[in-house]
Amino acid sequence: MVKKTVLVLCIICFFVSLSSICSGKAFGAAKPYIFGLLLVGPYNDRGYSQSHYEGGKYVEKTVSGTKMLYIDKVNPGDRPGVTIPQLVDDMVEKGARFIIANSDDMKDGIREAAFMHPDIYFVHCSGDDVLTGKAPKNLSNLFGRMEYGKMIAGFAAALTTKTGKIGYLGPLINEETRRLAASCYLGAKYAWEKVLKKNSNDLKFQVTWIGFWFNIPGVTADPTQVAQNFFNTGYDVVVSGIDTTENVVVARQKRMQGKNVWAIPYDYEGACEGADDVCLGVPYFNWGPGYVRLIKASKSGNWKSEWLWLDPDWKNINDHDSSSIGFAAGPALPSKARQHTDDFIKRLGTDKLNLFKGPLYYQDGSVFLKEGEVATDKKIWYMKQLLKGMAGQSGTL
Amino acid sequence: MRKFIRYFFGIKLTLIAAFSFTTLILLLSGASPFAAYYHIFKGSLGSWIKFAHVIAAWIPLTLCACGLLYTFRIGLWNIGVEGQMMMGSVFTTYALRLGIESHHPVLFLVLSFAAGLIGGGIWALIAGFLKTKGGVNEIFAGLGLNFVAQGIILWLIFGPWKRPGIASMSGTALFPPQLWMPYFSSIRLSPVALSLALIAVILTALMLRYTRIGLSLRAIGNNSHAAYLFGLKPGRYMLLAMIFAGGFAGLAGSIQVTGVYHRLLPAISSNYGYLALLVVMLANYNVWIVPAVALFFACLNVGSIQLPMMLRLDSSLSGVIQGALVLATLAVHAWQIRSKDKKWVN
Amino acid sequence: MRILLQNIHKHYGSVKANDGVTIMVEPGMIHGILGENGAGKSTLMKILAGYTQKTSGTILVDDFPVNYRSSAQASSLGIGMLYQDPLDFSSLSVLDNFMLGQMNGITKLLSLSFLGCGPAVHFRKKFEQIADHLNFSLQPDDSVKSLTIGERQQLEILRLLSQGTQILILDEPTTGISGIQKEILFNALRELASEGKSIILVSHKLEDVESLCNKVTVLRRGMVTGEMDKPFDTGRLLKMMFGSPPVSSSRLRVRSSTASGEDVLVMIRVSAPGERTGLRNCNIVIRQGEVVGLAGLEGSGQGVFLRIAAGLKIPSSGEVHLQGIKTNGKDYHKFKQMRVSFLPGSRLEGGLISGLSIAEHFALQDNRKGFFVRWTDAFEKAKKRIKSFRIMGTPESLVESLSGGNQQRLLLSFLPEDPIFLLLENPTRGLDIETAYWFWQHLHKYCENNTAIVFSSSELDEIFMAADRVLVFFDGIIIKDVKTSETDIHELAHAITGKT
Repeated sequence: MVKKTVLVLCIICFFVSLSSICSGKAFGAAKPYIFGLLLVGPYNDRGYSQSHYEGGKYVEKTVSGTKMLYIDKVNPGDRPGVTIPQLVDDMVEKGARFIIANSDDMKDGIREAAFMHPDIYFVHCSGDDVLTGKAPKNLSNLFGRMEYGKMIAGFAAALTTKTGKIGYLGPLINEETRRLAASCYLGAKYAWEKVLKKNSNDLKFQVTWIGFWFNIPGVTADPTQVAQNFFNTGYDVVVSGIDTTENVVVARQKRMQGKNVWAIPYDYEGACEGADDVCLGVPYFNWGPGYVRLIKASKSGNWKSEWLWLDPDWKNINDHDSSSIGFAAGPALPSKARQHTDDFIKRLGTDKLNLFKGPLYYQDGSVFLKEGEVATDKKIWYMKQLLKGMAGQSGTL
Repeated sequence: MRKFIRYFFGIKLTLIAAFSFTTLILLLSGASPFAAYYHIFKGSLGSWIKFAHVIAAWIPLTLCACGLLYTFRIGLWNIGVEGQMMMGSVFTTYALRLGIESHHPVLFLVLSFAAGLIGGGIWALIAGFLKTKGGVNEIFAGLGLNFVAQGIILWLIFGPWKRPGIASMSGTALFPPQLWMPYFSSIRLSPVALSLALIAVILTALMLRYTRIGLSLRAIGNNSHAAYLFGLKPGRYMLLAMIFAGGFAGLAGSIQVTGVYHRLLPAISSNYGYLALLVVMLANYNVWIVPAVALFFACLNVGSIQLPMMLRLDSSLSGVIQGALVLATLAVHAWQIRSKDKKWVN
Repeated sequence: MRILLQNIHKHYGSVKANDGVTIMVEPGMIHGILGENGAGKSTLMKILAGYTQKTSGTILVDDFPVNYRSSAQASSLGIGMLYQDPLDFSSLSVLDNFMLGQMNGITKLLSLSFLGCGPAVHFRKKFEQIADHLNFSLQPDDSVKSLTIGERQQLEILRLLSQGTQILILDEPTTGISGIQKEILFNALRELASEGKSIILVSHKLEDVESLCNKVTVLRRGMVTGEMDKPFDTGRLLKMMFGSPPVSSSRLRVRSSTASGEDVLVMIRVSAPGERTGLRNCNIVIRQGEVVGLAGLEGSGQGVFLRIAAGLKIPSSGEVHLQGIKTNGKDYHKFKQMRVSFLPGSRLEGGLISGLSIAEHFALQDNRKGFFVRWTDAFEKAKKRIKSFRIMGTPESLVESLSGGNQQRLLLSFLPEDPIFLLLENPTRGLDIETAYWFWQHLHKYCENNTAIVFSSSELDEIFMAADRVLVFFDGIIIKDVKTSETDIHELAHAITGKT
């Protein structure tokens, strides 16, 4: 009995000593500037989370002395029992000085963590805590003006569709997703009316929401099913608003069955790879420049709590060093449509074309923008409903 | 203390089997097993904050496990503990929603715990009635009710309780901080939750050892026919055991809402219910060993987040370790029984 | 083929199911194995058929020692056994079922999917041939589901025969089949024996054995108690089965006043299903202070009777009155309140709770109100009872660690102080004579206070020793109700086997 007790004590001592030695300075030596990245989905999802991951890589490359620490699949479905503040605690312990939370879903958690770690800098992508004044001094918001990307996507979709029916695979319903779906519609409508000279009533634009940013079996609607429904009911272009690429996959299947269909994924520049025959292009995020800007500010002591909604670089929206969003045209986009699209991008970059200009009406007929009124950022950011002409749920039942 | 040591030496075979299996898996996935174990260990017990995280997972796990001890005592497989936890959190959320505008947040916090207890209890009672009156096996009833509970949560989150203007599966709106369970902000640990779990352990131990209920549960679990001849009513005690299990699970659900997530979300139960089943089995249904095993599982759960962060391994590996443990337990147990039988026959 | 079973032992832990059995089965004979339930007949036959492994002993087939470990190996030696409940694939047709036993994997699959092709035609012929020969009315295209037990038996026999079985073992084949089917079966068996096959008939029914067998071996408590060739002497067979009354079978108890007490239990035309036979149309009155023994082959209705009397079973018809109150539909707990106590026969399954200690058993019985267990009281009581009932154990001993006799004493120690009606199922089974004697002395004290006792026993000696009155059960009916002082062991033995 005594022997055994001693053995147990020895084992315990061994582990305790292990922890005390190692917890001290795991990253002490070189002292890199560590930044943490919380990704809502898998880092290689060929969608939203991967675009952030690439952004982090870009920072490591561009800003010397930085080192990325990331954890992916940060959502209660994939990591039951794990909360954002816990992960932040852990990253701070590992030496992180700057932490990026990439999902709308992390809004509450990251704010809580920011209050708890006032000496650490936090960035919440897609949030508006700075705008609403809820954010502490060490929390900034960052987002790219994806509205333009979505307009281009809608534009390309409308030029391509043969049936005049465009499906929009929506994630959950909130202000962000509403305005992005609406932007897509505005782009499509513009192409339909101004380029194809058709009656806008003949354009069908259906939004179907699945309930979250990606598929959670048993919890959300299955995006594969939704995409299939679209294609089976005559929608020949499906634009994705979710983080993953189900619409492209389903479009390829339908294409192999001989159907003439197309898809536009979202978020990640490389999302079209391997789907040359159906992919019209992808509006994507390029987080690198925004990250670099904030990290540099934090390193140099010029940090202030900001709400950043970064424009594309209209000189070249696909410039990785300067443009926060881009549109990578896909091989399936016919060359004529491609020219139109390029023109459209150019015009968007000038003051001549602003699609968020009145008169625009909400779905229920109420006025969103009066005749000639140009929407302010806030008005676009906080869109209350989908626009008139779009079919689908607006969120407020 | 002796009991502990005896227990741990009793399970050394199990541990060896489980660890060799996980080591094999780790080697196959190309990682250094030592590094993996080291990171799990350090990620769970490496600092006070981490330990606090472990405790945060330990609390609901232990509560559920305590509840399960009652049902296991009477021979019921209360696999519906997961759903009972979910309904506990639903009832809690309901009570807290009433208190959002109130000037007496503490009152509503207390109320919400009572509601959680009741919610879990009701859900367990349904399974209990299906078992005693309808003859439905509690495993099937429990599984079915788990699905229903999950469905109710999803419906509430996407429907009546959605955030204004938003329809997302990510959860209901955050409760205001005055409706959060009070906690030490430095380590984010609620003393109330911790004491509830400790009380649950002690209460369960006392109940099972010193009360007629405990004795009767054990009697019925071991031989319900004979227990009936002793004047006990197995059906009633089954319902009672279910109420206890559901109550504790519901309390765990309350803590998940008020202490951890501060809102209702689809994965509110975090699989702690299912995990608790494994804990109780691995603890050999002994109330004093349950907290230790629960702590081990909580460490695995919390520490395994290091695997993807530090080693780029999938953190579901911790699930593999847990699975390996259970399999090893069952295998070693079966082997021991068989070798005992052999000895007896010879 | 000649079979010799030599010194067969089969032990289950400390229980000796077969304790040195030696039997010779000659070819062309119908050999009966007779014995009470639990005498070890079925175990012996399972060993012979390869379903169970013997603990020790030798089996010789035609003087060659053989050692097989499965029923398949036994059947390749020509030994086949017909079970009490034939195991069939009930969704198939009779012919499919017939074929299944005789083909291996691939052919089985092929022929089943192409019924009507080669093998099926062949088997149909074979089937009809044997069935005609034995006068079986079985149709090859019927579905097995629709068959009666007797017809299933026929199917099973056909299958065994077509597999080349030389030694056919039948375990209680006449249970649950009609008289006509029994006649057909017996004729078929005679026919088979005349062809040189050996038939082993396991039964506890004397008349079956007497009418069919050429030779009988009687087992009792795992041992051979005798053999006899035709013609049989029923009296001697009964003695072999039940043992002869010891010379000192003096009545333990002489009742001072005969049955003048009030009625405790009245049953009027009570029937209920259960066990093998159920209970049929039972009319009985049990009075205060009376000790009534229930005799009969095990499972002839005694168990059902006791359980109805205890409120553990609800009769399907008839009335039960307890102390003048109609108790139909009330449960055991109500009966218990009326001071009725029941001790079940199987201790660890029915009476004691394994995993609980002696003290915990007493704690369970403490029917005072209260939330907490009164452990000190329970330990005190346990200690006291352990002493007065001479149980080898401590209050902490788990009941499963006690020996059978001690378990039984423990059960007896649970009996309340002042019962009105005691119902005991095989109360002294497994006890040595001395303990049984002591036990009855103890119980008879209850009767002084007008307690009525009803107990079942497979030992007629015990009934004579302890009871004032005996009820003999046969096939669910009480066929004899007599005072023990007015009957003798032969009369009872006859009654037990259905001969009134």
